[in-house]
Amino acid sequence: MNGVMTERDDDAGESRRFLIGLGRGAAGAMLFGIPMLMTMELWQLGFYIERWRLFLLLIVNIPLLILLAHRIGFERTSTAAEAFRDATIAYGLGIVISSAILVMLGDIKPHMPFSEMLGKIAIQAVPASIGALLGRSQLGGQAGQDDDEDRKEGGGAVPDEISTSYGRELFLMAVGALFLNLNVAPTEEIILIAYKMTPWHALVTMVASIAIMHGFVYAVAFKGTHDIPEGTPWWHVFFRFTLPGYMVAMLISLYVLWTFGRLDDTAPAEMLMSAIVLAFPGAIGAAAARLIL
Amino acid sequence: MTTTAKNRHTEAREPRLIEWATGVVSAILVVAMIGWVGYEAWMDEDMPPEFSIAITARTQVEGGYRVEFDIANKATVTAAAVTVRGEILDGGNMVEDADVTFDYVPAESKSSGAILFSQDPGAREVRIRAVGYTDP
Repeated sequence: MNGVMTERDDDAGESRRFLIGLGRGAAGAMLFGIPMLMTMELWQLGFYIERWRLFLLLIVNIPLLILLAHRIGFERTSTAAEAFRDATIAYGLGIVISSAILVMLGDIKPHMPFSEMLGKIAIQAVPASIGALLGRSQLGGQAGQDDDEDRKEGGGAVPDEISTSYGRELFLMAVGALFLNLNVAPTEEIILIAYKMTPWHALVTMVASIAIMHGFVYAVAFKGTHDIPEGTPWWHVFFRFTLPGYMVAMLISLYVLWTFGRLDDTAPAEMLMSAIVLAFPGAIGAAAARLIL
Repeated sequence: MTTTAKNRHTEAREPRLIEWATGVVSAILVVAMIGWVGYEAWMDEDMPPEFSIAITARTQVEGGYRVEFDIANKATVTAAAVTVRGEILDGGNMVEDADVTFDYVPAESKSSGAILFSQDPGAREVRIRAVGYTDP
């Protein structure tokens, strides 16, 4: 936020901006959460998911949101305390928006047992809260409109250059993979596809996932694309970023499948097959996260 | 390290050791995974689904009797819509039967379920067997 602006701002402007931020968060939660809020399997998971796995997912979401808020807010000069506040607000928004939409869709009714309602809301709140944070950054950022214009002129509060550490780069990929995985993992199609595929299909899927990941970030000139410095062979970044990124996507896939109970009593080969299937959207999500965030 | 300048990211020219270490570990994992799947693709013989069923528990429940069982598929192919029928036999005559359908019994894996009878089989024989399946 621009320092000069802040000094001039009165309380009314301050709270108005806060409300705009909230609105953007809510919009993001809805935009990114709606595919999951309208997925039958996720409603069912809400009451049959093992409680301690759900608990773990809810706990894991907290540091994830804080780091993400810090990352998104980082460029806009936010502190750790602000990141913590943003993460809390995003989680809260996720819960509120999920419950409101589930009630509106008639999926939560007063006669239902409390634990069922809670489970349904809790499982939806995770992707919705990530959406809320993304909404704040992607639908305009946490600064006001005036700052956006400033930014275009290059004189805003955004530093011209920021460095992303290697660990953080992998973390961003994990968030992207997790987000897309949560979208598709609960559906029965994932395991059905895994059962239909032969190992040959799986091989092609793996190679395609890795190639798409690399192409997304380095070859196709999207906004936010990554440049390889002159004189560095392409396989340098392939080994340092793309392959670890694919492993991150695989790990997240396994975690999400396990959370949804898709790996129980399953042979290792079958686990690997479903993970490969799920890592395909995961890889796309991971690559997209590197571009967007 | 990646440096972001005005929405362009440039990878650092001189990466740190940890980046290479992670890269090498990942490369090994990816190669191992491809190797494993490749081996399976090579060795792949389509054994038709083969089930074995083991009764794990019998419990008296309200208004009936529950027989729980595990169904394992030993083959390398997954079966869908597996119908399992439980029968109470009294000296070769069927006294009662009940069906249950599994959405999937994955390859080399097991699923569990239960059949609910209206009466206690007591000392009579309980037979549980898979009667059909579809390919997914």
